[in-house]
Amino acid sequence: MSLTTPQGPAIASVKEINRAGDILKPRGGPNNSYRGPRWAPYIFLSPYFLLTALFFIYPLISAAVLAFYQTNGPSYRKYVGLENFRFILGDPDFHTAILNTLVFACGSVFIQLPLSLALAMMLNARSDRFKSLFRLAIFAPNLVGSVFVGILFMMLFTPRYGLFNQFLQTLVGWGLEQRWLADPSLVMPAIIICTLWMYVGFNMIYFLAALQNVDANLVEAAKIDGAGPASIFWNVTRPAITPVATFVVVTSTIGSFNLYELPFTLLQGSGPNNSGLFAVTYLYNYFNSQDLGTAAAVGWVLAGMIFAVSLIQIFLSGTTRRDR
Amino acid sequence: MQFPYGNAALTLLVVSVLTGLGIGIVDVRKATRLDKPDIVFATFAKDHLPAYIPAIEKFEKENHCKVQLQYVDQPTVKGRLQAAMQVGAEVPDMVEILDGTMGTFTSGPLENVGFVDLTEKIKENGLADKLVKSRFGKWSSRGHLYALPHDVHPVMLAYRRDVCEQLGIDVSKLTTWDEFVRVGRQVTKDSDGDGVYDRYMIDLPADGGDALRLLMLQRGARLFDDKGNVCFDDELTAKTVCWYVRQTSGKSKISFPAGWGQNFAKTMQDATCLFFICPDWRTKQIQADVSAVKGKMALMPLPAWEPGGIRTSTWGGTGLAFPKQGKNFDLAWKLAMYLYYDPEQLGPRFLDNYILPPLTSAWTQPQFNEPDPFYSNQRRGMEYIKLAPQVPDEPAHTYAQTALGKLSEAYQNVVLHYEKNGDDGLEEFALAELKRCAERVRVMVDRNVFLRTDDRTSKGAAK
Repeated sequence: MSLTTPQGPAIASVKEINRAGDILKPRGGPNNSYRGPRWAPYIFLSPYFLLTALFFIYPLISAAVLAFYQTNGPSYRKYVGLENFRFILGDPDFHTAILNTLVFACGSVFIQLPLSLALAMMLNARSDRFKSLFRLAIFAPNLVGSVFVGILFMMLFTPRYGLFNQFLQTLVGWGLEQRWLADPSLVMPAIIICTLWMYVGFNMIYFLAALQNVDANLVEAAKIDGAGPASIFWNVTRPAITPVATFVVVTSTIGSFNLYELPFTLLQGSGPNNSGLFAVTYLYNYFNSQDLGTAAAVGWVLAGMIFAVSLIQIFLSGTTRRDR
Repeated sequence: MQFPYGNAALTLLVVSVLTGLGIGIVDVRKATRLDKPDIVFATFAKDHLPAYIPAIEKFEKENHCKVQLQYVDQPTVKGRLQAAMQVGAEVPDMVEILDGTMGTFTSGPLENVGFVDLTEKIKENGLADKLVKSRFGKWSSRGHLYALPHDVHPVMLAYRRDVCEQLGIDVSKLTTWDEFVRVGRQVTKDSDGDGVYDRYMIDLPADGGDALRLLMLQRGARLFDDKGNVCFDDELTAKTVCWYVRQTSGKSKISFPAGWGQNFAKTMQDATCLFFICPDWRTKQIQADVSAVKGKMALMPLPAWEPGGIRTSTWGGTGLAFPKQGKNFDLAWKLAMYLYYDPEQLGPRFLDNYILPPLTSAWTQPQFNEPDPFYSNQRRGMEYIKLAPQVPDEPAHTYAQTALGKLSEAYQNVVLHYEKNGDDGLEEFALAELKRCAERVRVMVDRNVFLRTDDRTSKGAAK
């Protein structure tokens, strides 16, 4: 029996659906099984497994072993047990690096992401012909490499002659000789300003995509029920964009923990008083000084921290509860 | 026969295999090339190349050999050469390394150092007496020499002669830093009252950096002593740090951080700063980057820390090392002597790279005595030569970069203290900070199992 509407058959019959299902059944299924040699699929899958084993599993195991050695380059090593972990956990520089990383991560989550969301909401609310242009303009900085951004902002932040300092002096009569990259209290704001310029547009694209998927009927219904803009955002928009927001928060946090090129090029090192020392810079310093064992131990501690922070964020966002 | 996973997958597979084969064939052809050079010489210093290229061509003709000169980025030399030497990968026969990086290559037991020990060779050739003695320390570790010094790099002050004359500054009287600062306080001022100083006495980096280090060296303060012990927590260093802080921070500062490149050029051209720290290599940079000040610049020795004291310091350096895996050490050594210590080449080369060589017998070449119109017709070469014997020694150390970082940390904390409390208890605070930071470096040195005495001679550390 076919389900019909006055305009003609709108919904296929059960038989038609079953027939379509047969056609769409994957090859290799019970009705259309693959009859080649049984080992053939494994041959074709082997490059992936081989590469994964070679470039992921082996280095992972090797790094785990290496963390218990002190090394002098790749050829000389001596077993030191947990000494590397003991040392880095008690090292004030490591504490500084972790603190800086956490501060930067907070800056990313609490400054960058709200700004991205606000920009996305503004773009989503407007429907003029310049929308695409604005979207491109805001996203464009992300197309520039972080090393280039570091060099660019190093020039912008130059005391007296830098564009940023001259702009501040003209605007508020302050800042011409501010040493953004040499004053420990200004280094973190300088890095956050750089990353805002670079990543706000990138995250905005995610939020914009999520906002465009919010059910317009629900928004309309809420308006009819008398809900104001704040109430609509909190009760309709927020739940709808939560999965995307969780993804953006988690990836931004992981990105913050992996921050390296930008501060390294901007500050040409760790900055004054280690104010630009981040977890990965700390790791790199040991790697660069041939102490691969300590670098591996830092890597494992960092991986553990990223895993824990990501779990907490996913748990707090409630995404997993909804999935269940 | 049909490919079971479709034509798209087959195409991707074919493209991937062909690309891999193509790259492999190119690499194999490169590796098996018949016209391999007799010597591979790698350098990080682009400025050295113009002089080396014609000299090497002549050397090749005279010695019937082929030398391949490679320009390699400095971080690559530091980051990869050590690993390449350890794992037996292909390395150059001779390589130029930058000041401050020798410690990376000598961080393990002496027998594991990847460079040829040149200590005896230097003695045999009498080079120990022919070169400026203070330049060996940078390339040594635990009494063993691993590279040949390329330069001396004495430091002077380059200054805007025209502006100094207008302001009535008699530079011949600036013989001590105390006098320099006294004059600097008069020069550094905000003439138009807009809250921004219009002129500064000297360009000094705000984070200390190389300027603080070279001023310490001039004063006799070092990061490590001759035995390799951390020693930057002494009173001399504390006094120097405090002096530097007073000149770079607070209302009585006399310095501005000009930085590098365009900002440095603009600061010099506008005479925002009058004096600039200037090792020999920088005289060429200034001439190339700030042509507008031609004839307006001049050079003077650094003011001394006390009357009659040392009037120079040193900044930077290049050393030539020979990896043990090099296949033709004798020929490489011959080339090194030809490039580095042939007096007839060093005179004309000075006109090109402005770098003072450490071979004292070469200084009699006429090129070192030529007046330089850019620097108000001063005999630039002779000005640096006069100071060369005073250049202080600075021994290499595995933890030199770490120590510099910790010195910078102490310096920044002293700046914060000075901005908050002024001169109150400044030197005591500086000394305490330096002790804390030096102690941290000692902890790091002590935990290096490869530098412990019992491990130096044992093979136990080797895998």
